[in-house]
Amino acid sequence: MKLYCLSGHPTLPCNVLKFKSTTIMLDCGLDTTSVLNFLPLPLVHSPRLSKLPGWSAKDGTLNLEKELKECAGRVFVDSQPEFCLPERELLDLSTIDVILISNYHCMMALPYITENTGFTGTVYATEPTLQIGRLLMEELVKFMERVPKAQSATSWKKKEIQRLLPGPLKDATDVWTWKRSYGMQEVNSALSKVQLVGYSQKVELFGAVQISPLSSGYSLGSSNWIIQSHHEKVSYVSGSSLLTTHPQPMDQSSLKNSDVLILTGLTQMPTANPDGMLGEFCSNLAMTIRAGGNVLVPCYSSGVIYDLLECLYQFIDSANLGTTPFYFISPVANSSLEFSQIFAEWLCHNKQSKVYLPEPPFPHAELIQSNKLKHYPSIHGDFSSDFRQPCVVFTGHPSLRFGDVVHFMELWGKSSLNTIIFTEPDFSYLDALAPYQPLAMKCVYCPIDTRLNFHQVSKLLKEVQPVHVVCPEQYTQPPLTQSHRSDLMLELQPPPMAYRRCSVLSLPFRRRYERVYILPEIANSLVPSEIKPGISVATVSAMLHSKDNKHTLLSVPKPPPAPPTKKRKRVMEEPPVGQAPKPLLSGAVPLEAFLALLQKNGIMEVKVEETAEGHILHLQAEDTLIQLEEDGTHIVCDNNEPLRTTLRDLVLRFLQKI
Amino acid sequence: MLLHPKALAFFVQSGFITPLLQLQSDPSMFVASAANQLLAHILLAIQPENKEHANIKTNTEHSRVVLQTTDHIKESLVPKEGTLAAGSLQVLKLLALILDQARRPLRDQLLMALAASLEELAEAAYSQMTPALMDVIMAGYSPDSDDVTSRLLSSMLNVNKPADLVQAAAAFLHQSHSCASSDAANIRQAVRILLLPLHFVTGHPLLGTAPSADTAIMTAQLKNKSTFISMICVCLRNTPQVALMPPGILPCLPAMIVLSVVTLLRICSGDASTSSSSSSLDGCKNEVYRCIVNCGKVQKSALEALASLSSSPGADSTMNEVSEILVHYMSNPDSDPTVLQKSYKAFVQWTSVWTDLSFISQQLREDLFMGVEKRACDPRWEVRDSTIEFLGQLHCVPTRKSADSALLSERLTAPLLREALQDSESYVRASAVSALARGFRSFVPDGLQGTELSQEQTDTVGRLLKILCEDTEGFARRAVVRYFMTWLSSCSSPPSSPPSLLLESVRVVLSRGSLDLDWEVKVNTLELAELLLDAAFSDHGRCTGAENHPYATFSTHANGQARAGDAALDSALSSLVDQGVFSVLLSGLVDCDRPVALKACELLIRIRETIYGTADVMSVSCELPEWGWGKEIRKMLKNEGDKGQRVSVCEVLTSLALDERRVLLSQSSDYVHNSFQSLLQDILSAGVTLGDAGKDGGQEVIVDCY
Repeated sequence: MKLYCLSGHPTLPCNVLKFKSTTIMLDCGLDTTSVLNFLPLPLVHSPRLSKLPGWSAKDGTLNLEKELKECAGRVFVDSQPEFCLPERELLDLSTIDVILISNYHCMMALPYITENTGFTGTVYATEPTLQIGRLLMEELVKFMERVPKAQSATSWKKKEIQRLLPGPLKDATDVWTWKRSYGMQEVNSALSKVQLVGYSQKVELFGAVQISPLSSGYSLGSSNWIIQSHHEKVSYVSGSSLLTTHPQPMDQSSLKNSDVLILTGLTQMPTANPDGMLGEFCSNLAMTIRAGGNVLVPCYSSGVIYDLLECLYQFIDSANLGTTPFYFISPVANSSLEFSQIFAEWLCHNKQSKVYLPEPPFPHAELIQSNKLKHYPSIHGDFSSDFRQPCVVFTGHPSLRFGDVVHFMELWGKSSLNTIIFTEPDFSYLDALAPYQPLAMKCVYCPIDTRLNFHQVSKLLKEVQPVHVVCPEQYTQPPLTQSHRSDLMLELQPPPMAYRRCSVLSLPFRRRYERVYILPEIANSLVPSEIKPGISVATVSAMLHSKDNKHTLLSVPKPPPAPPTKKRKRVMEEPPVGQAPKPLLSGAVPLEAFLALLQKNGIMEVKVEETAEGHILHLQAEDTLIQLEEDGTHIVCDNNEPLRTTLRDLVLRFLQKI
Repeated sequence: MLLHPKALAFFVQSGFITPLLQLQSDPSMFVASAANQLLAHILLAIQPENKEHANIKTNTEHSRVVLQTTDHIKESLVPKEGTLAAGSLQVLKLLALILDQARRPLRDQLLMALAASLEELAEAAYSQMTPALMDVIMAGYSPDSDDVTSRLLSSMLNVNKPADLVQAAAAFLHQSHSCASSDAANIRQAVRILLLPLHFVTGHPLLGTAPSADTAIMTAQLKNKSTFISMICVCLRNTPQVALMPPGILPCLPAMIVLSVVTLLRICSGDASTSSSSSSLDGCKNEVYRCIVNCGKVQKSALEALASLSSSPGADSTMNEVSEILVHYMSNPDSDPTVLQKSYKAFVQWTSVWTDLSFISQQLREDLFMGVEKRACDPRWEVRDSTIEFLGQLHCVPTRKSADSALLSERLTAPLLREALQDSESYVRASAVSALARGFRSFVPDGLQGTELSQEQTDTVGRLLKILCEDTEGFARRAVVRYFMTWLSSCSSPPSSPPSLLLESVRVVLSRGSLDLDWEVKVNTLELAELLLDAAFSDHGRCTGAENHPYATFSTHANGQARAGDAALDSALSSLVDQGVFSVLLSGLVDCDRPVALKACELLIRIRETIYGTADVMSVSCELPEWGWGKEIRKMLKNEGDKGQRVSVCEVLTSLALDERRVLLSQSSDYVHNSFQSLLQDILSAGVTLGDAGKDGGQEVIVDCY
């Protein structure tokens, strides 16, 4: 069993598991942090961004003024933003049989894997994962296509140039694998390969293994996966949460008794408690609005935003914010808000029961009804006529490199009354803000990451007790910035197996058993004999038939009465009709009884020698040795066949024939 | 009943001690505890005064009871296999009760008899019994004698289980303050025990270099998280007392203890980079972190300890560290509401100790304000409430320097408080009103003139009056009345003309407050009226309040002076009537809430005594409405027919029979409802009703009288 690790990002994993005869890809996350090296894509022409000076090396040897721009001491690539794809060279992607998706954030690289790679397999995901994943991909494509960029910068990627560049650009890894965003056609084609599954539904893969998604409690439709054969069980835990938010709670008990547990997607903010951050978010929002400023919340269009809106729903009245407008701007804002309300069966119990009242499960419906929350596909159109300040705007993309958020950064960045509140943990907020410096607006970082923290995960592992744990190497050491926090790492016995991008791990467990079915008529013919209390054995002669990884014992076909004329031709195809197999022996030869028996048969002079394995009987008169060992008996006598046969028969008296 | 010697003798002689001893081990805690009390009482009551005067009968009885009790205790002191420890705990409690008050012969007798069992118990080291056993030891302990308790104590202070050891040391230190000087060795040992966990966790060398054996013991403790945490908490609870120990006993400077608590707080919040100095911790850092990072229990105990440590000697040398960690806790988003409240409390305590606040950097002040500003908008009302309270308390900290050196300037905090007046939670509104009242002097710097108030301040007063009229919760309304009391009492003589904002507002408060549905608001309104009385009569010689004897005669000298003041009294009285004070008092008098009526009655009596014998005030009259309380008063004055609106104040005061009323009102309601008389009346009236209902069945009357 092998695990190929195609992504080094612990929360955006992409691993391939070879198990029995199947090749299963576990998630295909797209590392979007690479876009932080690019200049933002403004929705309307930005004089500031267009006037940024080009970069050239101080000694004049290198001039990349067209490709690289300098802003507040940092260098950015002036080109369409590009993403860091999962490794595509480690393994032939066309050999992948299935892809299991655990949540909509972990499927953004799907088109890069399934399109133009020869992939012919199936993708398994739950319905909300598919639908919301589609929305996020659609949004990404629209963000990019709305503001096409004519030029594409490539010279900077050359190895000899890249090492001369300053700052983070120099240290960026695998820049040659970075790719531009896919188009809608690829998205549609990739998503057409998805087959929907429900929680705990069991899907057979070629009869070899069975896969089944379990609720992971992180987002709508998010799942962990169980991959099991008859005798082995592998659990794949990705983005899971034990907090009470909107999705169905996590199913922990089904993870028990795993041979291997692959653990990814722990919280990216182990020191930030989501409750505290939510409080911080609300306080800062209220503070800014009271002072007459605007609040900008860069966020994804699905996920934590539902919880934020729910929290604000309760908070706005108590903080006297009833008249402040809340805007949600995204090409998919409407669908996201509507979709969340129809996936009742995937919601937590509390919200499910609301549906029967009937009431919308999320309170944002009420906010929309009362006109407190308004949503628009973009800043163009209706929004510009409805826009009132001070207000709160939720919009994407959280990297601040594309999407409507770029416009608001340009609009509000100069006033210290305004505040930008980061709630998504995927991007470093300082890096995100870099191309907007100098910035007067207040910045608040309250990342809300509801995924498991180290404390929760060690408790979980104690409970489910997997034999082996595999995890990204980042989890096996404290975070770089807090090297003293040794509580922020996984400490297990035996230590977890760590992987990094491009690792190939041989998972340390051997398959020892395989299930074989037996036909009733053969079963009927068996004659079991008990060798130990509770254990019986029987010999069986049959034909092993293997198809679709299912093995069945069929009765040996009798040779058909062959027509005499064609006898010769069929000789080869006839099953070898052998003699009846020799009977198997079992049991042990008790020394005392054997000696007595020898004596009875006239062999008196026996010298017994004790060895590590058993005993050696030296029949001195006959010059013969009998080695009695636990798993074998040898009679060594030269040229005395009658004696050997006698001795053999004496030994056989103690043994049982099967 | 057993307070009576004869009853006691009867009880003992009738052999009731045996069943009482059985009850002592009753599974019900209440029964066992009551039996304990009773047994202790009997033993203590019948112990001979002293040997010479003891009469023989009492003596034999006494020794019989003592013997019986001692046997019982001895038998159930050490838990036997298979029995529950609860029995032993109760016995220990009984023993502590007796030893606490027992005199010499009895005490020695008991200790002699039980020494072996107690020693066995101490050696067995049952963790759950440590506190109770320590109670017994400390009850019987005196440092001068070398008896069984001293032996027990030293064995308890040398147990091998750190958690028990800490409990024992804490109990010893807690109760040994009376004999501190003469028992230095034990105290030194206890202090050492209590400082060891802090030394171990924080790496501050509180004990110099701790022996490796200690470190090993502490490391072993880390296996059980909850015991470790409770051990740390016990230590923290005792650090303030430890820090006050004389230098000869304390192995380090008190400031070092403060610093170690600060470090512990740092570790708790996950920022432990500073604790690297500890070599003892290196091996088990992970376990320590896993135990105490983000542990609310430790945080709370440490903050409480830090608050109390503010009074330890030399504490002000740690200003920077303390202020930094407290501000960090105040602005940390992960602090839970109680932790936050304790940080506020600690900060207020320390600010009152720091003589000079200039050491607090501008950056820290900004952080403090940012934190507080954020907290004032927190979604949790508890947080908002304690933040607003904190702002109020900061105002009260006496600033030794100019107002500029105040930690948070009024300019910054006043908008937060005004905003909080509109909070959706009534507790927060009430706290905001109180905080505004506390910061009074700086908030309304020239309150005397009233007319010079800024627009914002006038608005605030308007908002407060609105709260009094419209708020649905009593807390906020009460706070408003108290606000005006503070304001009024801070003005030495509010000018009546031109009518200041203060006096106008007070008039509104009086009229609204007396109509309030909440009796506490009404009592507060009457207290406000009392302030006005004080102010009005302050110049008048006879106004010294209720303590004046009503029948005291005035000397001619005083009389002469008084006459000169009669005119002033007249005008004071009429101004009180004009302000509505008199109406408030009269309406209070007939209020259905007893405390309100009592207060009003007392104030009316005071007015009556003040104006007693003054001819000039006869002409002062007041208006009685024809409805509500006016009607009631008329009824009492027996002039219901008279529809005239005005009545003479003097006449009202003399004819309301105020003294009788006061006597009646000052008896608590229990007096009426729980008196035997009332019970009898209930029974009789029930009997009458039932008897009337069915005369034949008169015998069946069952009166259920609880």
